[in-house]
Amino acid sequence: MQFLRSKKLFIILIGVIVLVALIGYSLRDRENMGFVETIINDTVGWVQNTIHAPVSYVTGIISNIDDMKNTYEENQILREQIAQQDSLLYDVQKLEEENEELREIIGMTETVRDYEPIHASVISRSPEQWMDQVTINRGSDHGIETNMVVITADGMIGKVLQISNVTATVQLLTGFDEFNRISATITKEDDQDVFGMIEGFDKESNSLLFRIIEESEKNVEEGDIVYSSEKGGKFPAGLKIGEVKEIVSDQYGLTRIAMVEPAADLYDINNVVVVDRAIEQPQEMEENADEEDES
Amino acid sequence: MIRRLVLPLVLFIIIVLEGVALELLPLQLLSGDYFIVPHWLFIFLVFVAVFFDHNDTYYSVLYALIFGLLFDIVYTGVLGVYMFSYALVIYIVHGIKKMLQGNFYVLLLLATFGIVLIEFTIYGIFSVVGMVDISIESFMLNRLAPTILLNLVFLIVIYPFSSKRLEKWKTEIPLGERMR
Repeated sequence: MQFLRSKKLFIILIGVIVLVALIGYSLRDRENMGFVETIINDTVGWVQNTIHAPVSYVTGIISNIDDMKNTYEENQILREQIAQQDSLLYDVQKLEEENEELREIIGMTETVRDYEPIHASVISRSPEQWMDQVTINRGSDHGIETNMVVITADGMIGKVLQISNVTATVQLLTGFDEFNRISATITKEDDQDVFGMIEGFDKESNSLLFRIIEESEKNVEEGDIVYSSEKGGKFPAGLKIGEVKEIVSDQYGLTRIAMVEPAADLYDINNVVVVDRAIEQPQEMEENADEEDES
Repeated sequence: MIRRLVLPLVLFIIIVLEGVALELLPLQLLSGDYFIVPHWLFIFLVFVAVFFDHNDTYYSVLYALIFGLLFDIVYTGVLGVYMFSYALVIYIVHGIKKMLQGNFYVLLLLATFGIVLIEFTIYGIFSVVGMVDISIESFMLNRLAPTILLNLVFLIVIYPFSSKRLEKWKTEIPLGERMR
């Protein structure tokens, strides 16, 4: 009996050691998943893809009925908006043409704002709600890489965390922390742009924490729109993130934090676009150069 | 041979369904202050422990290990957390079940107890690692209570389909092939 008891204890102890080792392994900065993980993710992703179609059909019907109730009011608001947009469209087209002409003159073809979209559907959402991850049905086979930004029609929703061959895991903005953050900016007139990082989510007020790193004057106001910035590396500038709701000081009183309401609905996501920055990254070229040197 | 594959297949389908489970819930529940975590896999493993396992077989613990790891790979990316906590709690449930009869009320009790234990283990591990930063009060109020409630609903829904079937499968395993 004494022996049995110690054997059980032994197994639990080994279990704890294995647990610690596994957590340590998975918390490392892993760019790519292991071979086994990729296979499992691909298989589960394939099954989820088939299951997702009927499920989304049913939930679609339910939300359609919901939508039908306020179609009339929405229609009227939209009609007004369209009338306003006609003149805006004309302006934008003019500006775009002019911009292109000017750019051709100075010989610049690609900008940090250009991107190539990869369309994808969300096939599952992680049941573990602390993770705030969703899985999409496109992977490395379709050209997706880690750290690419994922958007919907309304705005940014997150970035690609892990990829397998036919699926990819997206870290939603709600799950951002010091380790998962993106650089963002608020455009102001007269070269007074504000730069900072989106580095967290406050569940209580349902808003993103935008840590202001650089502001020439304290000129962030409520209602300012926060966009992604080209300084983040892999993603293009000018993607809408959200609107400033409130400005507070951080716990030490050294920097200011803007509470940003996300532009996109982070709980009801179906179709997304993964954004691939069109312009070449100088960083990658440097890495390549290093490799060449070594070889 | 086919009989042996049915149970893992059911567990696999449940794990896949968990990913779309949150879409079936109304949006107001998700975007509010509450976290609801579907532990369907765990609930079914409790079924297996209570109705399928003999006192000396440990299929439920084995499946908890395998499918817990699968859950980690697919849904969290942090390996080992669900594997460890599922296997440990199912082992404890299996131990308690030896002293009790396998009926509906025992199942309800064991599942509730199990989910509380699971949630606390996962909360403990994640807060030690530093991935979760939330006070224990709000954890119990915003996450534990709604999670227990919703998972018990799932248990009551699948009870009529699974309990008798699992007991039938239990008798079909030949004595000599039992895993101890």
